[in-house]
Parts: sequence; C-alpha cells; structure tokens
Amino acid sequence: MAAFADFWATYSTLVYSVGIHALLALSLWLTLSCGLLSLANAAFMGIGAYTAALLTLNLHWPFPAALLGGAVAPAVVALIIGAPTLRLSGVYLAMATLAFGEVTRILILNLQITGGPEGLNGIPLLTTGWYIVVILAVAGYGLARIRRSRLGRAFEAIREDEVAARLMGINVESHKLAAFTLGAVLAGVAGALNAHFTFFISPREYGFENAVDILTMTILGGTTSLIGPVLGASILTLLPELMRFLHAYRLAVNGLILVVVVLFLPTGLWDARRFRQLLKNRRARKGGQP
Amino acid sequence: MNRVSKHFSLALAGLLAVTAVAGDLKIGVAEALTGGAAQYGVPIRNGFQLAADEINAKGGVNGNKLVLVIEDEQGKKEEAINVFKKLIFQDKVLMIFGPTLSNSMFAAGPVANAAKVVAFGTSNTANGITEVGPYVFRNSVMESDVLPVTVSTAVKHYKIKKVAVIYGNDDAFTKSGYDVFKKVLEDQKIPVTTTETYVKGDVDFKAQLTKIKATNPDAIICSGLAEEAANIIVQARGLGLKVPFIGGNGFNSPKMFEVSKTAGEGTFVGSPWANTNPNAANQHFVAAYKAKYGSDPNQFAAQAYDAMTIAAAALKTVKITGNLPADRQALQEALPKVSITGATGPFKFRQAAPKDGKPSGYDADQKPFIYVIRDGKFVLFTGK
Repeated sequence: MAAFADFWATYSTLVYSVGIHALLALSLWLTLSCGLLSLANAAFMGIGAYTAALLTLNLHWPFPAALLGGAVAPAVVALIIGAPTLRLSGVYLAMATLAFGEVTRILILNLQITGGPEGLNGIPLLTTGWYIVVILAVAGYGLARIRRSRLGRAFEAIREDEVAARLMGINVESHKLAAFTLGAVLAGVAGALNAHFTFFISPREYGFENAVDILTMTILGGTTSLIGPVLGASILTLLPELMRFLHAYRLAVNGLILVVVVLFLPTGLWDARRFRQLLKNRRARKGGQP
Repeated sequence: MNRVSKHFSLALAGLLAVTAVAGDLKIGVAEALTGGAAQYGVPIRNGFQLAADEINAKGGVNGNKLVLVIEDEQGKKEEAINVFKKLIFQDKVLMIFGPTLSNSMFAAGPVANAAKVVAFGTSNTANGITEVGPYVFRNSVMESDVLPVTVSTAVKHYKIKKVAVIYGNDDAFTKSGYDVFKKVLEDQKIPVTTTETYVKGDVDFKAQLTKIKATNPDAIICSGLAEEAANIIVQARGLGLKVPFIGGNGFNSPKMFEVSKTAGEGTFVGSPWANTNPNAANQHFVAAYKAKYGSDPNQFAAQAYDAMTIAAAALKTVKITGNLPADRQALQEALPKVSITGATGPFKFRQAAPKDGKPSGYDADQKPFIYVIRDGKFVLFTGK
C-alpha cells in the first residue's frame, strides 16, 4: 500500500491529465463522427475553464454547479457560432473554426475579468479522481449509446455522403449543430475539470497548438471507435513522462514514434476492422495447415 | 547507460521509501530546459550547477555533499506540477528550485506548499507568486522594486516632464511590467502623453511610433522583450524620434544589441545584477562561469548561483536528522534568516504581506542596479 500511496502522490496529476485528454479527444471524435473537421474544441475548453473558474473564484459556487456552468457556456457559444459556420465543410470549416479559436483567445487576452495575459491564479483544488472517472464513464457510455442510435446513424450518414443523407430525409443542418454543440459541452467540462487541479489558467493554453494536440490524439488513436481517441490521449499524455530518462532527447523520440505510427497505421492505432481482419487471416492460416 | 541505471536506481530508492543516503543533501531543480523558455532555464541550471560544484569542492555543507536532481519542466504548467510531484514524493528532495516561468510557479507552487516543501523561484517576477504560501520563496527582484528606481533616476538625469508608453499587451511578463510602470508614473506624477500597444511577433511599430512622435514626449517607456524592444528603438530613430528610452526587465539581454546596434544610446534599464559589479563574489562568479561554460553569464544565471548559495547558508544552520518532513520544515524556517552578499550584491528575504489572513512566502529584499546604454553596451549608471 505504501508503494501505491507513493505512486499516487507522484502521478495523480498525470492520471488526471490522461482523463482530461481522453474527454477532449472524445469531444473531437463526436464532431468528426458527423464529418466536421473542427479546430474550435480548444477554444470551447477555454470557455468552459474560464467560466467554471470564475464561478468558483468570484461567486463561490459549489463545484458541481460550476462544472455545469462550464458545460452550458460553451454550448451556448457553439449554438451561436455553429449556425453560420457549419454551412462550410472540409478545410473551409477548419479555417473558420480556427479563426473562431483565435478570436476567443484574443478576447480572453483583452478582457479585464479573465485577468488578461496574466491569467487566473489561485483556483481552488476541487477536481478529484472520482469526478473525472464518473464524467468520463458517463461520456463514454453516452457516446456509445448515441453511436448505435438514430442520431448516431444520422451522423454517420452525413459523414459518408451529405447529399445522400439529405435525400433520405435527414435534417443535415440541425444534426451538424447537435454534434458541434455536444462536442463543445464535453470540451468545456474537460476545461472546467482541468482548471480545478492545475491552480492556474492563462489564454495561451487554449490556442492553436492545443487544437492541434487534441486533433493529434484523436487521429493517432483512430476514429473508427470510441476506444481509439481514449487510447490516443493516454499514449500522448504518458509517452513523454515515460521517456523522462531520455532527458534532452525525449521530445525527439516522442515525435519519431508519432511519425512511425502515422506512416504504418494510417487509420490510427485502434482499428476494429483491422483486428478482425488479422484474426481471420490467422484462423485461415491455421485451417490451411495439414 | 550510466544515466539509465542511475535513473532506475533513483526510482527504486523512491519506491522503497528509502531516505537519502546519509551525507547527501538532495535538492530538486525544475527548470525549462527545452521549449521556448529554455533560453532562461538553461543559464539558470548552469548557475545552480556551478554553485553546487563549488560548494561540494570545498567539502559540501557541514561535510554533506549537495546532490542536484535536475528535471525539465518545459515551461508548461502541467509538466511543472508533474515534475514537482516527482521530486517531492519520489526523489524525496529537501527543497526545489524553480520553475522557470511565473505561470508555472502559480501552478506548481501550491503543490509544494501543500506538501510543506520549499519551492524557491529564481526567475519568477510576477506579482502574487509568494501569496501562494509560506513555503514559496524567490530571490528574483520584482519589477515593482526595480522600476521606481529606474524611472526616478532617468527622470532626474534627463529632466523629463512627460513620457509616452508602449508595451506588449498579450504577454504576462510585459503586461505586468506595464502595470507597474503605470503605477510608478502615477506615484511620481509624470504625465503620459499616449499609451500604445503591440502583440508578440510584431515587426512593424511605425504606426504606434508615429502617434507617439506627434505627442512630443521627453522619453519613451517601453515594457517589452528584447527582440521587439530592439526593433522599436531602431524604428523610432528611423522616424526621427531622438528621445531616450526607459526599459523594463525584458531589456536585459545581449539580444538588444544584435538588432539595435548603437541606436539604443542613452536608454535606462534597471536590473538586479550587474556583470561589472566589482564586488568579489560577483567577479569570482563571472570568471568561474565563463571558464566552465565558455560564455558570459546573464542575470538569470547569477540569480540561480546566488540562490544555491542562500540555500547552502540555510542548510548550514540546519541539523539534518534523516526525518524528511522535519528536515524540510527546519529548512523552511532557516531560509528567511539568511543574509549573504552574492553575485547580485547584498541579499536578504522579506516576508510578503499576508493574503486573506493566510501567511505568505518570502520575496527578495534587494536594491537594483541602474544601467545606461553607451557605445552598444550596458554601463553601470553612476550619476554622470
């Protein structure tokens, strides 16, 4: 037990980060599942983080209520900006959401209430492991259910062929808006949780770099199932820490591993179809032997 | 693979909860050694290493050797927290130096404070750092201690009546520098003709400078990092603005002269450290640093060097019992009593004002040096 207590004291923040990144990767997975390449999720994370932090810092709201605030605020913003921008698709949508992310960052940078470039500090430590576990479990279960529901099938149809989906009677606009907004809610909650165990937030944490990080986690893990994004987030969070003994070389090795994965596993690490194929091949080979 | 095995044995020692080998004083160093903040983190680490090597060469502290456990925190807040926890709970260090950036200290400081381990920043100048708690120390001098002296010296020298201000408004460092300048100008009742802003990465400042020129100030106050500040000075001269500049801490870099050459003549800058300061400790430090690393030290290396000296002076008065929490506590109590004369001159701590009734940590109580730029060099201002 002493060994575990030691381990937990040292690595609890790292484990929390894995959970937060998994939530973020899932939030992007949801928008991607509807065929939307959005780079706005880092900004939604920031909106959630700032909203929740301001609620606990200034208004002393209880943590669950602040978390709710951190979920609702990005949802409202997503509904407002989603209506016009979701008419775009592909790289144009990526550009528009990227611009939205920058606007959000610069807004936070210049507002008085957010502390400007100096950020907010002294945020109370309220996130515990249970919050992350429960929220991640609920999100995972919810997404798994959505995937097999009418809504999820509609998302998939829109991703595969928007015109065909429209002809089949799916309301493409409202479904896209739903995926975008639900993704924003997940990202916002992740931001709110993150703010309450790192004591400090500043605008630069929610910029372009983080948008790309979230995208990398999701793509590296694979988008064909829910396991992929969680796996990608875990690996990208743990890898740099595991390679701490490499000192100055660890970031280079980290990058190298990513390049190798992308080159040899273009559909991501977790691809259920590939596993099934592998299994089939093996069985076939076994059967073929005399 | 000596490094790997060393690391492995450290981890093993941590897992088995074995206290440090008697005779070794383990001290954590968490600095940004990669990434954008490495330009500060690397000289800081060098300063620590130089000081620790010298102390060990002289037989250590009361016969115990200083062992540095150095970790890279990349200038990121999550990394800073992870590294702090690793140093505190796994490597079981007596105290931690770092992290490099103020933002990282805001995130990692509370971790150390909750674990009752000293976190000693050598480069964190932001306001409110030491309000985290009584286990947070720093020997970096705050801008609010440096800038009033810089401004009043320059005002007296140039007989300044009114000034224009330009600053970077998207960077924590330059923005907080501006806030201090603003307060200093109000306190010293110097009218501001106009306040202009720019963002990091800008290269063209002519629009702002033209506006400033139209208001005809006696001097320009600039809170910016060296890269931008050098460009601002060059472009001001290009527009025919001949008035002197007054700079914040960001000016304290050799990079100033790579771009501005001699355009910055007459600029006033305040710094906690002067490379030409003739005191014996500083002369020794400058020579030893150059001999070991082959380059001139900067302010950050000097402050790190002094911080290690301060910690060693405190450790000298502590009786190491091998009971880690007690030793950490004794160190925290011994540190505020230290007063030394180091590379940055005479130094002692000053407890920060308590916040919300909770005790605060300790800030540096030190006088800054005022420099003026002459012939493309920082020259100590002596009143002439």
